[in-house]
Amino acid sequence: MTTTMKAIDTVKMTSRRRINWQKQAVAYLFLLPALIVFTLVTWYPIMSTILYSFQKVNVAGFQGWVGFDNYVRMFGNPIFYTAWKNTLVYVLLSLIMGAMVPIVLALIINEMRGLSSFFQTIVYLPTLIPIAVGLIVWRQIYAPTGGILNSLLKLVDIAPQLWLQDPHLAKPALIIIMTWVGAGGATLLYLYALREIPPELFEAAELDGFTVFQRIRYIALPLLRSRIQIMLVLQIITVAQVFTEPFILTNGGPASSTTSPVLEIYNIAFTRTDFGLASAWGVSMLVALSLFSILYVVFTREDLSKG
Amino acid sequence: MNNANRGIMSNAEWRSPLGRFIRFFYLIILLIVSVLVIFPFIFSFTAGLHNSIDVVKPGIHLWPKTPLWGNYLDAWQRFKISRLFLNTAIAAGGGVIAQLLVSSLAAYSLSRLNPIGKNIIRAVILITMAVPGIVYLVPRYVVIAKMGLIDNFLGLWIPYAASSFMILVLNNAFDSIPRDLYEAAQIDGASDLHMFTNITIPLSSSVLMVLGLFSFIGFWGDFLWPFLILRQSDLQTISVRLYTLTRGFPLNLYMAASFIAMIPPSIAAFYLQRHAPKGGLTI
Repeated sequence: MTTTMKAIDTVKMTSRRRINWQKQAVAYLFLLPALIVFTLVTWYPIMSTILYSFQKVNVAGFQGWVGFDNYVRMFGNPIFYTAWKNTLVYVLLSLIMGAMVPIVLALIINEMRGLSSFFQTIVYLPTLIPIAVGLIVWRQIYAPTGGILNSLLKLVDIAPQLWLQDPHLAKPALIIIMTWVGAGGATLLYLYALREIPPELFEAAELDGFTVFQRIRYIALPLLRSRIQIMLVLQIITVAQVFTEPFILTNGGPASSTTSPVLEIYNIAFTRTDFGLASAWGVSMLVALSLFSILYVVFTREDLSKG
Repeated sequence: MNNANRGIMSNAEWRSPLGRFIRFFYLIILLIVSVLVIFPFIFSFTAGLHNSIDVVKPGIHLWPKTPLWGNYLDAWQRFKISRLFLNTAIAAGGGVIAQLLVSSLAAYSLSRLNPIGKNIIRAVILITMAVPGIVYLVPRYVVIAKMGLIDNFLGLWIPYAASSFMILVLNNAFDSIPRDLYEAAQIDGASDLHMFTNITIPLSSSVLMVLGLFSFIGFWGDFLWPFLILRQSDLQTISVRLYTLTRGFPLNLYMAASFIAMIPPSIAAFYLQRHAPKGGLTI
């Protein structure tokens, strides 16, 4: 008995070990374009970032190794702490102001029967607008004089505010825009997940006398949990990389109150052409976000193995 | 399917007095959200109809006394919007084609051809997806610049072609194609390229379509990368050009141009809705 099984095992092993090189060549030929572009525009650049951060590099290319000089300059600059403090505030504000929005919207839109796909398209609209164009419209909405928001507030006797020029208001003002842009995509993903839930579950719960709220609380939300985890981590990673909003609307001001690491990286790299220092900032980004990136990979894999 | 029969609430419950109340409450929320979401569209549309003085006047004046429809024609000509649309279509369209081609070939290999180190390749791609793009923005720019691709659409297409997300989604989609189809083709002596073009691609056309539309919308509005790569004004895409022209034009024409810029991705979205996947896209 055992010998035959061993024999079968060896046959399996050898057949598994024998590599059909012709087949492998075809397999790698199909993979080749992807391997080339990934090497060129992601894998090699990721390695380079780490090397650059220990070098003096500018538009002319490599100028010599400088050890930890870039890092010393980065940590010695108070803007570094301001930018990361801003990022922390952006992330917290976006979680408080924005994280719930797509979940609630998905639950409501899912309930809308025939109107469901109509509202689904509506909430997705802001994602479609070129962000640079959308922001220019928002600048008119937030404008201190003649802006539509201040005009609306005047109707209820609230004094006009300097939305983007007041350090206390600028960050929430930008978060509102980010929520406006980002909520649609997340809503769509939650909606798809809700539609995957077998209706029998809700039917059974209804017969057992669960209220609508209880059905949401004890069935819908637990089943959405893995998606919610992924989306929250993704939101943290995305918000921490905020660039276009402060770049176009405030350029990091007033008094650096809206600047972000990415905006600083952009300025260091492309106005001061100090690629080494910019890469040190890039590495700080990699380190700061690595925990969330790992969580993202873990959650995505979990979700995958379930589906 | 199930959402037609019932949501979290059953149809009977939906028609009950409590259901009516909840429905009313839900509709109010959705209407408020819809207004907030559509407002910038309406705002830019009507601002584009004002004259250049009224548009900056304080107060709420959504609809002008005499709408100046000519502004749209004027904006179209002065911003050279046909040229901008052409540039953006080349940038986004080429990017989508490159991305679909590269990703579907790679996904076919991972799903069907068992390349050595398949799991390592998949893991590396997944990890790549988790590295924030900004981390390697500067060296990527240097690579593209060294290849002489500044002011060249290839400088956009090559980075756009590398999409971890698309490879993983397609890998999953290709895995769900029944094996027997391939076995039948193999007996007939079909090559892998033949099976790829005649079985895999046609059977995944709806996933490819949806992924392509999503990418198109994303590339159409992309800002930072085209802003870095396309420096020459007659090559720039619409969002880059509109940004660089912010100060040079009267606001009403500017808003008219912004509204025009929003139209193509909106059309793509309505297509997307018609072809929307039933179960969503999973990795």
